[in-house]
Amino acid sequence: MTTQTRNIPAPAVAPAKRKSSGSLTGHRFAGPLFASPALIGLAIFLVAPFVLAIVLSFYRVQLNSPRPARFVGFEQYTRLFTDPDLSAAFGHALLNNFTFAVIVVPVQTVLALALAVLVNRKLRGMVVFRTFIFMPLVFPLALTAVIWRLIYSRGDEGLLNAVLGLISGGALSSHDWLGSPSTALASIIVMSIWQSVSFQMIIVLAALQSVPAELYEAASLDRASKWQQFLNVTVPGIRNTLIFVALITTIFSFRLFDQVYLLSRSGSVDRGSTETVMTQIINTGFDNNNVGQAAAMTVIFMLIITVIAIIQRAAVRQRGGV
Amino acid sequence: MTISKSRRGVRIIAATAAVSVAALTLAGCGGPDAGNAGASVQAGSGEGTINVWAVDGQAAENDALKKIIANFETSQNKIKVNLKLFPSDQYTKAVNSAAPGDLPDVLDFDGPTLASFVYNGKMAPLTGSVSQESLSNQTDSIKAQNTVDGAVYGVGMMNAGLALWGNKKLLDAAGVAYPTTPEKAWTAEEFTGVLDKLAAVVPGGKPLDLSEQYGFAGEWGTCCSAGPVIWSGGGTMLKDNKAAGALDSDANVKSLTKFASWKKYTDPNADGQAFPNGRVALSWVGHWTYPTYKALGSDLVSIPLPNFGKGTKTASGTFAWGMGASTKNGAASGKFLDFLMSDESVRIYTDANGAPPATKTALAASSLYGPGKQLQLLGDQLSKACGPEDQITETCVSVTRPVTAGYPIVTDQVGKAEAAIYAGKDAKEALSAAARAIDQNFADNDGYKK
Repeated sequence: MTTQTRNIPAPAVAPAKRKSSGSLTGHRFAGPLFASPALIGLAIFLVAPFVLAIVLSFYRVQLNSPRPARFVGFEQYTRLFTDPDLSAAFGHALLNNFTFAVIVVPVQTVLALALAVLVNRKLRGMVVFRTFIFMPLVFPLALTAVIWRLIYSRGDEGLLNAVLGLISGGALSSHDWLGSPSTALASIIVMSIWQSVSFQMIIVLAALQSVPAELYEAASLDRASKWQQFLNVTVPGIRNTLIFVALITTIFSFRLFDQVYLLSRSGSVDRGSTETVMTQIINTGFDNNNVGQAAAMTVIFMLIITVIAIIQRAAVRQRGGV
Repeated sequence: MTISKSRRGVRIIAATAAVSVAALTLAGCGGPDAGNAGASVQAGSGEGTINVWAVDGQAAENDALKKIIANFETSQNKIKVNLKLFPSDQYTKAVNSAAPGDLPDVLDFDGPTLASFVYNGKMAPLTGSVSQESLSNQTDSIKAQNTVDGAVYGVGMMNAGLALWGNKKLLDAAGVAYPTTPEKAWTAEEFTGVLDKLAAVVPGGKPLDLSEQYGFAGEWGTCCSAGPVIWSGGGTMLKDNKAAGALDSDANVKSLTKFASWKKYTDPNADGQAFPNGRVALSWVGHWTYPTYKALGSDLVSIPLPNFGKGTKTASGTFAWGMGASTKNGAASGKFLDFLMSDESVRIYTDANGAPPATKTALAASSLYGPGKQLQLLGDQLSKACGPEDQITETCVSVTRPVTAGYPIVTDQVGKAEAAIYAGKDAKEALSAAARAIDQNFADNDGYKK
């Protein structure tokens, strides 16, 4: 991962230099030619939809409606910020996203590191352990969500309640994990970490295996304890990978959709308590058919994400990382 | 009512439609004139091949439909039928994106989508093409669904209805006498008492299943859960095309708060097996569970939904058949629709999927819903049609969901509000927010008027 990310700027600079030197004119089109598949892909799947979203956000567009789109200027945006219902709902969805990110990013990164260290041990049958830990990622989420709905089900039917009831001797047995607004988001967080931690684990595991064994040997010659070795050899050795993992987890947190959609839409759950910006955009655009409003939400959300990404990059750069 | 068939697909359809709408908008081209073109039906020669579009339903339904078409083709030799089945998640999109010339002669549609198809100029009125006999043989509840702005656009073979399914053994064990006719339905107060009694005899202490596994925040909530509660309490979702003052009325607040108070008696039914496994004594669900529930044998009883003040109410309506707006084969299409509505065709079709027949004569002859049969209550309820919600009376039972092209926002917001109330939110607040969202969307679209 490290080598890849470090190398990215290099090719971008090199062709420019070549051009300016005037040599190799026969290969003038090679750069653009080789870049074109990626550029065309980006243009079609990233730039065009985003430009489209910006344009649509200035219109009143209703799906499946014969009424022509009507230009309304900034109306969708002013509604999003001044309409008490809409602004409260949008703010709440943003808050849910941030809460999710603030909890999931550190917990999942640390957990991924711990699991990776665990499965990196050379023990008999480790392949089996690795397979089992990786399993949640292999099953489709729609499938595991069914099981999690049974786990979180309220009353004695719920597996979680049954276990808690057994441990506490019946004192705790009827909490409505998904239905109660206070635990709905927490339940989704737990399920989400369970589901995706193994992906981060695999990345960290790859990095762990690339830390040279000589470093550990040298450290043990210096009488460093296991914990000291971990802190001073392992963590610095995989630092960039950890930053990368934290970055992608942040991105995953903000585009949080399937977990919420699958767990809370199918039960009798108050949507407001688990709504994320993505579920709200889909709901506005495709359940309420209000495409203009959804486009405005997308644009605002994109701006917020851009700001977060810039801050994160700046913070990481300062520390001399990626 | 056709939860399983239509709900999932809607979003995917909409997603694709969004792209196409966006493309049209950007290109600045009006595209084929999709809207308000007015139907331009030609009667045609009354022979030749007609194109038919239908939703790819359950295997048994498809087989039944093919069998009916084969019967039609052998019954005469002038009209051939070219049937095209669409996956249910593609169907609405296919109809909405078809240019007028590409629309089929005869097409299948789901009840709540009809108003928007008519609004978009996709459907032709049936009067003149379909025989008066077929039209007058339609039960009132299906007729109400298929009528938009006073014109009939569809005829139905089947209908759908709701009831409380009861486990007689458990009811008897608790000493609960249950009503068997809509007039004698339990009042909401009595129902709470019944639940108290039943809680003592069921294994988990939760005697009621409200079909939570379907999710309230969606079509199930609106049509089949919040809908009957609202209508039975004397309220409506819309009044004069406005939700404010209707959806957030005190009557609705009271009824839905009462409904939410039964949560403590309710099994979440996450596995869908609460009733057949005997965990609950009462199950609030539609006719479509009969094939599973009939395992109870003679212990299975059907009970009207509780009465919140203005008589018990159930939702009705489901897939039906109509004609494409610009068919050139009006006469032949009408003959085909007449054949679909014949007793024999309706019997073949409803035997295949267990739904209540939507024609008067087939309903009377039904071996499930007919007089004296096991599901007579559901049949009776469907014959006591209210029409749309603004025509509800004390004695009618089956209510048609709001017939408006703005139905998507209504169903989304009503379901969302019900789920919030059920989770413990203040009913007035949730319903007012839903009413404001609906009215805003209606205002943005000029009330979805033509």
